[in-house]
Parts: sequence; structure tokens; C-alpha cells
Amino acid sequence: MLGVENTKCECGHQNSVGTVLCESCGKPLETDDLSDLPLEMRYDGVARRSQKSNPNFIDRIWNFFSSVKIAIHMIVITFLTAMLGTIYPQENTFINNFDPSVYYEETYGLPGKLYYLFGLTHTYESWWFIGLLVMIGTSLVICSLDRVLPLYRALSKQQIRKHPQFIQRQKTVFRHQLEDDEEQWSDQFGAQLKRKGYRIHRDGTALLAEKNRFSRWGPYINHIGLILFLLAILARSIPGWQMDSYVTVPDGDTVQIADTNYYVKNEKFTVEYYKDEELPDKLKGTARAKLFETKAVLYECVSKCDDQLQEPVLEEVKRHNIVVNEPLKYKGLKLYQFDFDTTPRLNAVRPVLVDKRTGETYGPFELPMKDSPLQHKLGPFTLDLYANYMEFAIGDNGEPVTLSRDPVAPAFIFTVKGPGLDPAGEPYLYFPMQKDKVKFSQDTINAAVAAKIEIRVDGMENVDFSEASTYLNVRMDRALPYVWVGAAFSMIGLLMGSYWQHRRIWLRIDNGELSLGAHTNKNWYGMRSDVATALQKTGIAVDPKSLDNGGNNA
Amino acid sequence: MNLVDFSSDAFIVAFFLYCFAFMFYVIAIAGKKWSNRDPFQHEKRWGRIAFIASSLGLASHLTFFFTRWAGSGQIPTSNMYEFMTFLGMAIMIAFTIVYAIYRKALLGMFALPLTVIIVAYASVFPQEVQPLIPALQNVWLKVHVTTAALGEAFFAVGFAAGLMYLLRVIDFKGKTKEARRSQFWVEFSLYSIVLIVGFIIAVFAFRGMGYEAQFVQEQSKIDAKGIESTTSETVNYTLPPIVKPYNSDIVQMDSFLGMDAPIFEAPYWMNGVNSGRKLNTVVWSVIAGSLLYGLLRLIFRKPLGAVIHPLMDGVDPEDLDEISYRAIAIGFPIFTLGALIFAMIWANIAWGRFWGWDPKEVWALITWLYYSAYLHFRLSRGWQGLKSSWLAVIGFVIVLFTLIGVNLVIAGLHSYSGV
Repeated sequence: MLGVENTKCECGHQNSVGTVLCESCGKPLETDDLSDLPLEMRYDGVARRSQKSNPNFIDRIWNFFSSVKIAIHMIVITFLTAMLGTIYPQENTFINNFDPSVYYEETYGLPGKLYYLFGLTHTYESWWFIGLLVMIGTSLVICSLDRVLPLYRALSKQQIRKHPQFIQRQKTVFRHQLEDDEEQWSDQFGAQLKRKGYRIHRDGTALLAEKNRFSRWGPYINHIGLILFLLAILARSIPGWQMDSYVTVPDGDTVQIADTNYYVKNEKFTVEYYKDEELPDKLKGTARAKLFETKAVLYECVSKCDDQLQEPVLEEVKRHNIVVNEPLKYKGLKLYQFDFDTTPRLNAVRPVLVDKRTGETYGPFELPMKDSPLQHKLGPFTLDLYANYMEFAIGDNGEPVTLSRDPVAPAFIFTVKGPGLDPAGEPYLYFPMQKDKVKFSQDTINAAVAAKIEIRVDGMENVDFSEASTYLNVRMDRALPYVWVGAAFSMIGLLMGSYWQHRRIWLRIDNGELSLGAHTNKNWYGMRSDVATALQKTGIAVDPKSLDNGGNNA
Repeated sequence: MNLVDFSSDAFIVAFFLYCFAFMFYVIAIAGKKWSNRDPFQHEKRWGRIAFIASSLGLASHLTFFFTRWAGSGQIPTSNMYEFMTFLGMAIMIAFTIVYAIYRKALLGMFALPLTVIIVAYASVFPQEVQPLIPALQNVWLKVHVTTAALGEAFFAVGFAAGLMYLLRVIDFKGKTKEARRSQFWVEFSLYSIVLIVGFIIAVFAFRGMGYEAQFVQEQSKIDAKGIESTTSETVNYTLPPIVKPYNSDIVQMDSFLGMDAPIFEAPYWMNGVNSGRKLNTVVWSVIAGSLLYGLLRLIFRKPLGAVIHPLMDGVDPEDLDEISYRAIAIGFPIFTLGALIFAMIWANIAWGRFWGWDPKEVWALITWLYYSAYLHFRLSRGWQGLKSSWLAVIGFVIVLFTLIGVNLVIAGLHSYSGV
């Protein structure tokens, strides 16, 4: 390759190395190519950066990513690996209480174990899958740059009079001996094409008709959109750009949304089911949810937010009834209805203390399940909270324990002081729920004290409970606008490139002999029919199919 | 008579019109060789008759669609039955558009049976109107599903033209290794289509007989707290159970040809509630389809590919290649818009994320990547014609898996009802 390649065309134009067709007159430059097969018309035969001779290290990387063949391979590998990821459910489809190292083997046996070991349980978050996407993105950038610049150059300075070989070796060709006046016929033919939306350029009897050049930019606009889209997706891994968490809010509660300054209150949750008469026979009697709704209030903490000992000061910022498809939205934060739980939950009771010896009743007093006051004074009696349990149980060592932090089976141990009781106080175990009272035999445990006093709730009006809890999904995604812009670009580019085609017709008349060649990037059928109709209108009848010069449909 | 009942009648009319249109297209193509006629005039005349019939069928199908919509108050695209009928309709719309461009009667000979099969397949699923669960009550659902289906319909037309190309150019008398391999795979494609027909026939035959069998399946689950609980599920079969569900007992079973008990039990890893029944359905499809295929072979005494091949004489293979490519090129932007962009908009509204790697989403992406690879292959030398037709055929298999396979095999957010 030491010899300098002669890339000067006979028309006098100096082309760069790698040029296939002269940039000016279009004559094929490869001298050993003596066939008369249709020409390779990609990028009008202009050299691309990737065709540089003596590539250095950077050129080699450029060449790798600029290859459409490599790009196709990457696309194929991506969709094949994406297929693998759908064999078993991915890890992120499980919300809680889930240990992937055990789950897959237990559920699917050996294949499940291997699936987990190969990292396919989180295919789409794996480094190699993201790596593939990054490589596709790189390929999009380099492929596009490598092609769009030469193409732009070729299309922006087109010569009208082309070399006969260039015209005769197009995929759509026509030759004819003209009987009419050359100039007049060319005028007529040009006028016909103009009516079809072509722009006509004349150089004597030579003619260039062109339409829809803009469609050539479609693929590149599409690629820009895809690059934006991919970048937006990668940007979501920047801290603070994306959030996806869940909060459970029982009726009437206000709960802080983790990692934010916001609190959400569930004023009331309602669920409606389809009535039997609304359901087809097969589904009658099943509970098919029609609507679930959370009356939610969003608060922002304005002071004392991080102080564990003090109540935060909250300010209402938004009020919205959340239903599926209609989230609460506030400054990029969105709360979605995700699920619900209709197990009732006890919030507080208002019990009274009864002195069994006198029949005297003291109270009632407010006893919330969580954060209960440490002391209650009821007439002559004093109750000191010794301990409380949310889900009471007797542990293995015989000591009371709590199984969870939700008030499923709450219990309180008070030290009671008062008339007729030990001055140091006597312990009294109190279960607000009747079922627990029986289950754990409250009266037996309380023994002697139970004969003297009793703590009890009179009537349901003294019980405060939530009928249901709502599960909300908290989302934030700052990359979203970029995702939509990327998608819009991509779509516009696709439409431009798919529904319009760049068509060009070259013709020259030498001594009454008409040579016509036409090129399009897509839809040869339409190209031929354009040429045939225009010819027919100027008095030359021709079957569109006969214009085909063979070669492939690109 | 209410609107929903009326729409069902319109659907049946559409189905028969499609069947007739198919026959007319066959006459238009095969009849060219009949004596005492000008082949060109014959094709033109019968092609027009067939096109009128298929257009009337489409009109009737559209009537079905809109009256069912009006009658039920929701767009009929929300369960498998409604979606598949819509897909059939979309294929007819795509076919009509492509036909308007190229005016090739031959295309009808392949697009119509495809529609007929899909519409018949749809009828296998429960046909009642089902009220929508909250997640589906949104305008974007309508836009997403309809646009995606239209895009897929163009892929279906691309598939039909691709298969025609293969049947046209493959040498069915060739003895070389290459020719034999092509013959085998074309025959395999046709056999697969016959299997689907076999499935439809089996379902309707046993439904007509009123066949029923019932099993109780014991399933044990270990919950988060480590407590094992056993639930029993009832599984209803409408096809005689060759395969019974894993770990199940017969409740009731009609006898069929002296078969009083299931022959096999589904393997342990197929322990989903309906997986035994689905496996049984697959087994029946293979049996019925193979019987049908064997029957066709007995009648014609040669491979089906070789039977169809002579009909394709005189068709320009380049035209077929072009039609196939063009249908896919038209469908690709529509598919992108419907199956990806509109889907993302809807997902963002309904679930708060535009993309969640749900199996259906992943398969839509796979389909999109596949066809974008196809479009790039078309730019390369040597990938037109034969190779690209194979790609168009395989592509439609991927589309079908995305539409049906994912729902039947992999459950996700998009699970509708199944057979």
C-alpha cells in the first residue's frame, strides 16, 4: 500500500481514498470493475472516515463501531440475552421476604440454581447487559457520524450531468432513441416530473430530478433520538434522579416517606367491587375490584424534621384522591395506588378502670397502641406503663416477646398503685383485644389483682381502628422528560425515513439517444412507476417492470 | 336483540366472507391455467371479485368491532378473544393497504387464510364481555393496543409475502443438501400452521361433543413465615386428558374412545394451576394437526410445499421480496409507536414507571430489536430475497410468541385468560 493510489477522475475531480464513484460525475473509479451490474450507490459512493488507509489505534476502534455488521451483531446478542431474562421471574418482581439464593433453587430446582448463579435473575441490571446497551449507543453515534457527513457532502453538491456509465448502471434504467426535439422533450419530461413533486435541475439537455431528500436524514434523526433515550436511561442511576419505594398507610395515619421531607396521610381508603349483575356468569361470586381509592394528603416538613424527640412541624402541600391511573403528583414526586390490605388494625382504645370491690368506675382514658403515655392517673389509682407489646407472644425462655411492630396482638403491662394494693404497685397485664384476653388467659396471669380491679373497654364507640391500609408506590424520575424527547425524535426520524423515499432521476441525451437512470433508497416499485408515468405522459409507452436493471432491492 | 349479540352475528358474517374471499383468491390464481380463458383477464376479474368479498368481510368485521364497543361500553381489546379478533381485523386493514399499492391477487391467497386462522383461533377463547380491572381503564390502553396490533398486522403481511417468496423460489425437485434443507424448513413452517388449525379443530370438536373432565390438584406452598399450607385447585378440561395435572385426582371424567383415565401426569416442574391443562392442549394440537397433515399428504401424495409451488408460476419473486420488505417497513414505525412509545406512556401513567422489564415488555423490545436488525440486514449485500424472506417468517413467529406465547407460558402483568 505504499504506492499512491490514483483517485483522480477523468473529469478532473480529485477524490479521497476509498471513494467508489467520482464525487463529481459519478463514474465508477474502481478500474477493475468492468461489469455492467447496477452500482453500489450507498452514500453516493463517497469515502467514509472508516475507510481510511493505515488505520491507527483510534481509527480501529472507530472502524469497529462504525460497522453496520457489528451493530447488527450487537442487536442480535442483545435480544437473545433479553430472551434469557424472561425464562424465570426477575428478582425485582418480588417485593419483600425474598432471598434469591434460596428461592430459585427451591422453586425451579437445578435449572433455577444455575439461572441464579449465571446472574440471569437480574439480567437487565447486570453489567454485561448495560454494557451491551452502552456499546449499541456508541455504535449509533459512530455509525451515524461516519455516514451522515459524507452523505451530506455528496447530496449538497451534486453535478447534473453524470457520466454515461453512472446512468446506465443504475438499478432503474431506460434508453431510447428520441425522434422529437431534444430540448423540447426534456422540457416536457421535466414538467411532468415537477407535477409529481420533483425539483428539476437542468444543464442543457442533461437533467437531474430530485424529491424528498429530507427523508435521507430520517435514520440519523431516529438515531439521535435513540442516543438521547439511552443517555436518559443511564442518567437514572445518578443518585436522586430516580426513586421507587413503597409506603403502607393505615386509615387515619400519617407516615413519613423514607428519604424525603414529605409525609403522607391516608384520610380514608375505600374499595369497591363489581356487583354480581355487572359480571358475566363465569365470574359471578368472585371479588373483582372495580375501584380503589385513597383520600391522601401530602405534607412537607417545615421544621424540627430531623429531631427524633420532637414532633415535626408539617405543612399541607397537596390533597388528592389517589386511584389507579391517577396518582398524586407534587413537584416530580408521584404517589401511586399499588395495593391494599383490608385487615382491620387497632389504633387506640378508651378503657375504664373498675374497682371490683366498690363497683366504682374511673376513666375512660386514652390508650393508643403506639407511643402511649407512660402514666395515667384515674381517681385514686395510678397506672405506670411497665412494658407494651405489639404482637404479644411467650418466647422460648418463657418471657414475653413481641413478634412484630404492628399492633396485631397488643398487650400492656401496667404497674398499678392505689387503695388496697401493694404500695410498691402490682403488675397488671392488659390485652385490648378480646381474642387475646382469652388466648393468653389474662385473668389467670393477673391472679390476685384481677379480683380487685379490672381494665376494660365499654362498647365499640371506645375502640378506634383502621378498616384498611393502603399501599402506595412512591416514584420520582427526573430523566423522564429526556426519555420522551428522545422517543419523539426517534419517532419523527422513523416516519421521515419510512414513509418518504429519496428519489433521483438523471438523464442525458447524446445525439438523440436518451439515457435515463434513477435511484431511490427504498421502494423501487414507486420509483419505476414515477419514471414510467412521466415517460408515458411524454409519449413513450413503457411497462414499469421493464425498467428494472436487476440487482438487489436495498 | 342487544348490540353485543348483533356484533357476534356480524363477526360470523365476516368470518364466512373471509373464507369465500380466500376461495375466490385461490380461483383467481389457480384458475389462470384453466382452459378457454385469457389468464390476465381471468386474474383481473376474479381478483376483483375476491377483493370485493374480502373488503365486505372487513366492513362486517369493523361493524362487529364498533357495535361490540358500543354495546359493552369498553373497547373490545381487553381479553384474548377480543385482542385476537382485533389482530385479525388489523391484518385485513394492512392487507387492504398493501393490496391497494401493489394490486397482487396472490397476496390475498396468503393473507386471507392467515386472517381466517387467527379469527378462528380467537373463537377458542371465552367470548363474554369482561369488566375491566382498574389498571385497564385508561384511554392509553386503547391507543397502545390498537396501534401495536396494527404494526404487528403489517409484520404478518410481510410474513405472508415472505412465505410466498420461499414457496416460489425454492426448488422442490432439487436434491442438493441446500435444496433439501430449504424444503424441510418450508414444509416445517406449513406443518406448524397446520398444527394451529389442528388445535382449533380439536377444541371445537370436543366443545361440540360437550366433553368435560375435572381434576383436583393439591398444591403446597411455603409462606414467608415458613408455614406450609396446602391448597387444592379445581382444573377443568375441555379436551380429553391425555396428560393430567401434576399431583391431582380425578373428580369426574367423560370417557372418550374407551379412555377412562389420563395416560400421563405432567412433570413436577409444571406445577402451575393450569400448566397441566396447557400441556394437554399442546399434545392434542400435535395429534390433531399431525392427523390433518397426514390426511393432506395422503390426498396430494407430495409435500405441501410442492403442492403450492406450481400455483406460484409466473409470479415475479422480486415483487414478493419487495412487498414483504415494504410491509415490514410500513409496520415498523407503527409498531414502535404502539408497542413501545404508547406502551411506555401508559405504563408510566398506570404503574408509575415507563419501563419495568415485565416479560411482555421485554418481548415487545425483542420484536422491535429483531425487526430493526432485519431493516439493517436489508442494507447489506446478499441479504435480500431468500435470506430476508426467512427473516420475515421467523419474525412473525417472534410476534406470535410475544402476543400469545408470553401470555400462555410466562405470566406477567399482561396475563389475560387462557385455554
